[in-house]
Amino acid sequence: MAAWAERLAGVRGVLLDISGVLYDSGAGGGAAIAGSVDAVARRPHSSVCAEHTLICVFVPRLKRSPLKVRFCTNESQKSRRELVGLLQRLGFDISEGEVTAPAPATCQILKERGLRPHLLIHDGVRSEFDDIDMSNPNCVVIADAGDSFSYKNMNRAFQVLMELENPVLISLGKGRYYKETSGLMLDVGGYMKALEYACGIEAEVVGKPSPEFFKSALQAIGLEAHQAVMIGDDIVGDVGGAQKCGMRALQVRTGKFRSNLGTMVKLRMSLPIVYRKQLF
Amino acid sequence: MAARRALKAVLVDLNGTLHIEDAAVPGAQEALKRQAILQVQMTNTLRAASVMVRFVTNTTKESKQDLLERLKKLEFDISEDEIFTSLTAARNLVEQKQVRPMLLVDDRALPDFTGVQTGDPNAVVIGLAPEHFHYQLLNQAFRLLLDGAPLIAIHKARYYKRKDGLALGPGPFVTALEYATDTKAIVVGKPEKTFFLEALRDTGCAPEEAVMIGDGLSPRGESGAGLLVSPSAFGVFQKVDGPVTELDRKYRAADEEKINPPPYLTCESFPHAVDHILQNLL
Repeated sequence: MAAWAERLAGVRGVLLDISGVLYDSGAGGGAAIAGSVDAVARRPHSSVCAEHTLICVFVPRLKRSPLKVRFCTNESQKSRRELVGLLQRLGFDISEGEVTAPAPATCQILKERGLRPHLLIHDGVRSEFDDIDMSNPNCVVIADAGDSFSYKNMNRAFQVLMELENPVLISLGKGRYYKETSGLMLDVGGYMKALEYACGIEAEVVGKPSPEFFKSALQAIGLEAHQAVMIGDDIVGDVGGAQKCGMRALQVRTGKFRSNLGTMVKLRMSLPIVYRKQLF
Repeated sequence: MAARRALKAVLVDLNGTLHIEDAAVPGAQEALKRQAILQVQMTNTLRAASVMVRFVTNTTKESKQDLLERLKKLEFDISEDEIFTSLTAARNLVEQKQVRPMLLVDDRALPDFTGVQTGDPNAVVIGLAPEHFHYQLLNQAFRLLLDGAPLIAIHKARYYKRKDGLALGPGPFVTALEYATDTKAIVVGKPEKTFFLEALRDTGCAPEEAVMIGDGLSPRGESGAGLLVSPSAFGVFQKVDGPVTELDRKYRAADEEKINPPPYLTCESFPHAVDHILQNLL
């Protein structure tokens, strides 16, 4: 226990990944991961966790604790409003203003740089781009389009890039895959690489594990990196990315976690996933 | 130059010949027709000299039957087992590995996989098949690969030309699957070494006993409409004992220095290449 207290000394806030930590997306809105609802809402933890869904490190009620909480997600198939609505229906205590997501961050970048995007996205996130000038595109924005990753849509994005003298490809995250209730699903990363390969260019990534993204989440709760812990299921995107920024990070064995997966990310501090009593 | 060994087999590249009907430039059609006729004459000569001939080409949507018919129209008198395509290479690999492939290939290529078990797949074979590159099917392939199935790519062309402009080839989708699963595809088409070794396999010849005659047309090509044809780009002639690439002499003269080893010889034209063989290597 002492070792734990030492490792987590000085932590004043938590960045929480959403997909794979709090819930798995899927048909009918997806499903909460057992125990996560209570853990966030600081309600007394209910009975026993099923062994295969050992989830949350923090039994204690995050929001009642002095810890600051920020949701830091790469979700790019749904708007923040839709995502938050969904999570609230699953019983989570969460609001739009508490979420750092890649679409709004991208919009800021587009405006700052005078970029007008051709969007390769799922309709569910389109509303996040309502304010953006999309006439005469001079760049392509790719997000987790899911079923909208048809050959036709990919080809159109490819053709737009090939016609630009200075092709710019912005990718909302670069995850390899994520977990839905039906199983593992290809994420935006592969499709981003497909366009990079086809056009001979390199994409700019907005979202985890980009340091700017983590910094903006930290800024939102007024903390420095060393004062925060990131909790996620993606060893590279969540854990690796956060640690590179100077945060501590915990990986949970839910979501896309696969124990036999090799990884190139060297964790300076790899904490075991455990069921813990009050830490704070 | 390596010590000379008796020549036993010749691989003849078909890409240019096959594109006669597709050639957009009128002059190119004539030149290609002439080349085809010469190829036929020369290969007959080679056969008469007991040299085995194999006609090779990258294709992902023409079965051997289709190719045979096309070639017969050009008065090529060849038999099915003298043709070796990238599809053949894929099938051979599937049989060697004893796997059951999920076939993401054009329907017209399916005849080349007759007899191959595809139920309960534990491998993925991917060619140029835009109709199969939608999310659901790629996701199925992805899950197979994540479970350890091998990924066999006919080739990794980035794009090809269609009437409506450029279109994504299989390469980008292979790349997507490689990235998502953190694995590497086995690429079986030209200019991979595997392709040439497989083409030679049933001739019983070692690479040192064979030569490849490439005419430099669309080396990374996908068979299909609208590819660049260059009637004057003939005759790079190279021993098949290292990485082999076809060079388009007119458009990439400097390329000879880029490959290692350099071509055994660069000839003016296909007939010159064959003359050289007949005079020096038999």
